[in-house]
Amino acid sequence: MTSLEKTAGEAPVSRHDRMRSRFGSRAAVLAVAGGALLVLSGLLSWSYDDRVLGDLSIRFYPAGIQIYAMVIGVVGVVLGLLLLRRPPWLDPGRGLRALGYGSVAFVVAALVSIAYQAGGLINVNEGGWVGLLGALLILGAALLCPPEHLDVHSWPRLAGWQEISIIVVLLAVLLFTTAYTLNIDDAATFGCLLVVILTVAIALLGSGFGGYVGFIGQNNRRPLLLAAFLVAFLFPFTQDGSDANMSIATQILIFAATALGLNIVVGLAGLLDLGYIAFLGTGAYVGAMLSQSAFATVGWKPPFVVVMLLGMLVASIFGLIIGTPTLRVSGDYLAIVTLGFGEIFRLAMFNLDGNNGPDLTNGPNGIPAIPDLTFFGFDFGATHTVAGIPLGRFSNYYFLLLLLIAFVILVFTRLNDSRIGRGWVAIREDERAAEAMGVNVFGLKLLAFAVGASLAGLAGTIKAHQDTSVTPDQYIFLESAFLLAAVVLGGMGTVAGVLVGATILKLLPEKARVVNDYRLLIFGLLLVIMMRFRPEGIVPSKRRQLEFHEDDEDLVELAQTEHLEAK
Amino acid sequence: MTVTEPAAPAAEAARRVVLEAAGVTMRFGGLTAVDDVSMQVREGEIVGLIGPNGAGKTTFFNCLTGMYIPTEGRVTLGGETLPPKPLKVVRAGMARTFQNIRLFANMTSLENVMVGRYCRTSSMALTSILRGPKFRREEAATRERAQELLDYVGLADSAEILARNLPYGDQRRLEIARALATDPQILLLDEPTAGMNPKETEETMHLIFKIRDSGMAVVVIEHDMRFIFNLCDRVLCLVRGTVLIEGSPGEVQSDHRVIEAYIGGDDDEEEDA
Amino acid sequence: MEFAQQLVNGLTLGSLYALIAVGYTVVYGIIQLINFAHGEIFMIGAFGALSTWLVFFNGNTSVWVLPIMIIGAIASSVIVAVLMERVAYRPLRSAPRLAPLITAIGISVFLQELVRLGYNNPLLFLSTWNPFDFPSAKQKVPFPQIDVVTGAAFNVGGVVIQRSTIFTIGALIICAAGLFYFVSRTRTGRAMQAVSQDPDTARLMGINVDRIIIVAFVIGATLAAVAGVAQGLQITNINFKMGFLAGLKAFTAAVLGGIGNVWGAVLGGLTLGLVESMAVQFIPGTFGGSPWKDVWAFAILILVLVFRPQGLLGAKVVDRA
Repeated sequence: MTSLEKTAGEAPVSRHDRMRSRFGSRAAVLAVAGGALLVLSGLLSWSYDDRVLGDLSIRFYPAGIQIYAMVIGVVGVVLGLLLLRRPPWLDPGRGLRALGYGSVAFVVAALVSIAYQAGGLINVNEGGWVGLLGALLILGAALLCPPEHLDVHSWPRLAGWQEISIIVVLLAVLLFTTAYTLNIDDAATFGCLLVVILTVAIALLGSGFGGYVGFIGQNNRRPLLLAAFLVAFLFPFTQDGSDANMSIATQILIFAATALGLNIVVGLAGLLDLGYIAFLGTGAYVGAMLSQSAFATVGWKPPFVVVMLLGMLVASIFGLIIGTPTLRVSGDYLAIVTLGFGEIFRLAMFNLDGNNGPDLTNGPNGIPAIPDLTFFGFDFGATHTVAGIPLGRFSNYYFLLLLLIAFVILVFTRLNDSRIGRGWVAIREDERAAEAMGVNVFGLKLLAFAVGASLAGLAGTIKAHQDTSVTPDQYIFLESAFLLAAVVLGGMGTVAGVLVGATILKLLPEKARVVNDYRLLIFGLLLVIMMRFRPEGIVPSKRRQLEFHEDDEDLVELAQTEHLEAK
Repeated sequence: MTVTEPAAPAAEAARRVVLEAAGVTMRFGGLTAVDDVSMQVREGEIVGLIGPNGAGKTTFFNCLTGMYIPTEGRVTLGGETLPPKPLKVVRAGMARTFQNIRLFANMTSLENVMVGRYCRTSSMALTSILRGPKFRREEAATRERAQELLDYVGLADSAEILARNLPYGDQRRLEIARALATDPQILLLDEPTAGMNPKETEETMHLIFKIRDSGMAVVVIEHDMRFIFNLCDRVLCLVRGTVLIEGSPGEVQSDHRVIEAYIGGDDDEEEDA
Repeated sequence: MEFAQQLVNGLTLGSLYALIAVGYTVVYGIIQLINFAHGEIFMIGAFGALSTWLVFFNGNTSVWVLPIMIIGAIASSVIVAVLMERVAYRPLRSAPRLAPLITAIGISVFLQELVRLGYNNPLLFLSTWNPFDFPSAKQKVPFPQIDVVTGAAFNVGGVVIQRSTIFTIGALIICAAGLFYFVSRTRTGRAMQAVSQDPDTARLMGINVDRIIIVAFVIGATLAAVAGVAQGLQITNINFKMGFLAGLKAFTAAVLGGIGNVWGAVLGGLTLGLVESMAVQFIPGTFGGSPWKDVWAFAILILVLVFRPQGLLGAKVVDRA
């Protein structure tokens, strides 16, 4: 089929060829020049004032913003050179476009910050202007590039070890970038860095590397997974005993584990659950009530392993109860029913204080003073030193949560790739046809609720100990909406998507104060915008993408080819 | 009996009755859509169901597949009364296709057929997560059987193509493959050649013969008279909810009442289901 | 006596629910969309009335101020509702049903936060500009007590009837009468009925469906705005969160009455209000009383959705609008 397509596609391509011969080399020169200027700007001084954005005043000793400019510059040079000899699976033009807009945004943001903090553009030194010129040149180069057709069949096959080393290098870069980013305290620098990271990422992914990396990932699933967990495992060792970032990291992991559970319900089974936080709450309350806390309302103090299992069990029973209406209702109505259950859970936890009904939860005060976990003498509250690097309380929980999320991912992916997963897809596609083909629709829907709920319940039992207290106001509707947003933003039905979504939603507000005040506002807006322009999320599952764009023929074709390639 | 293809008509009585409808009556409020219809379908037999618009074909069909529970009379599959749930009907050995194709559009052909195997496999959540040898064996067997069925209906090379990207005729055949994957005793086809060109119709006919010859019972609803009369061993003509005539294609074809029913009796009552 | 008192309380609460529920039902009747953000339109209406008062009549509690406040409330609600339809919902008309629901949640959170952060700070983080010296909406904001509702409550044979109660119930009666006239007597109203029964045919008959959809949002917003004012007068203060629970309960009322049916919404609202009041008073034991009343409301919501999704009046009522 490819040979046919090529002959058919020849005629329109020839016009592109002419355009390329006229503009291609010019664009390449512009891009390389722009990139070089950005690199140069990194070596120059950006500001007279040495208190702004770190210290940018010294020449030939790049720091902060200057390094970022150099990184963008290098990417620009590479993409520019690629324009001259374009492999058929790459379109450097697309990358340059993202890089162009992004770098202009970055330099302008940096200049505005300098002007704002130091008092006027007069404080900008030659480096800033050189950088702006470089960014504009890259943007100009991008606008000269005609769009190319990507030929996804021509991805080069490398030897196994080469592909694996690419993965390792990429993940190492990821680890380094994350650690570096998290250690920046200056809000303006952090903002600029985020722009740079996003720019470079979009530029590289957009130009076709993304597809190729995905292809390599498909070929080496196991090494990729192992390496990813290794990187995640090594993360605490980059923090030098500081618990500030580890606290955020543990929150992200709990949030992500719960969101992954929700993704089973929403992404795989296609059922909208607006009360999902109640399952996390169930686990947390089970954990708290059976803990050693003096305020625990139940006298029984079983070992934590038993508590975890009980948390899963109780949550999955609630899941079954909440899932039962799926027998009769679906769609919007089901969503509202789950919302109702979620609110009832919160209100019940709030009310069961002994005055209104039995005393289970201490009402609005919740259950405080939950002690840290101890496993076989390993105290999660204490600092342990490994290889000379101190690992604090949150690092301990981080390792435990890493195990949890590995388990959740395992459950998610294996269920997805099984008879049950196929049943879920069939239900999403056409419920009546699925039933007429012998798929146990109701049973599978219940299963989704039960499995998802038990995973959230498991996460909850750990969360109770990590937070040291459990109160009803942690489990409001907004938190459910937040979880849903992580799933929607990241991508329904994918693991990577939810991890990305959860990280963005939890990390941003923690790192930038401005964002923190406005996080809900931004979050609401984000949901609306995502549904309007990219309902399938940042990292979509191919099938979900097709479901949201029923009439997009190009996408169908692309999905088809990629599906074939992956086999 | 004038049968276009040899259908082993020798010992009809010896063959087992798979599906039996006895005195099926279906009323919606005051309207009697199906009135005292009886029908027997035996192993290795193709029975056609024809009738003008509004004759109650689809309602009767829905009674057969367990979507409706008849007001009077009963439907039995292999001697057992049909359970009232579609799910259990499939398990009992009845599979169907849809008048307007209802494939899982964003799944590949192979996956579509694998979904059909759902009710004949048993791995549940825990086995799927643990991935023991039983799970692997069952997955492999499911995949293999699905591929076999694709070969059987002539879609061997389309296994990895998304159902939505298949040509129309192939989609119809994929629906049949998916239905066969449920290991039915009887296959109900709702207008299997609607919208097909003559060549595709011809191919479908041969496919149905092949299925019949494997010993399965087949019931076909169709508007295309030529197709029905060439295909079926027996034809049932419904008019206004009652059986007008039942017999070999030759008998039905030459009966003047059938022609009248089609030409003159174009009722204005519309049937929807 | 207890019973009569709860009857009055229930009717008041129910009138409020009914006014909001109409908004859910008219929109659903036409495009089968659960406008989950409708509760926020109610909240915006209350703040619109407050703003009108603060800008034009700060300190003045004369009776003639009230109609102008209501107009201010309606204007703000209608503008927000129409914008919402245009910007967020209209592009999603043919999208899978998950999309508009998630969008609605997004709008809901966005509007709440916009009021919370932006009421006294309309340019948000850009500036602290606050031309009319609005109060911060991060906590409860006192609502002006117009002379209509101040003064001693009436006492009818031991049953206390607040003046605001009369306003609320009166508002429902007037709005329902207006709605009845609009739906059955005007051209647009009849067009609405046509669209709700068969949008495609209505389009072929030359009815501008987009316009009718906007009309539905406008009607809903108008009634919600009136409810917002009534709520403000009754509780004497308003806050940015007031739309969430009220919206959910009004939605329950709409479903209870049969969603898509305007009179069902009114009936459902009154029923829910009565049930809630009676439950507070008459459910014995520790699970009774006001701490659990919202739980009972949600339980009703779930039970109705599961067991009688067509509502009290059923889906077969022809007079849908």
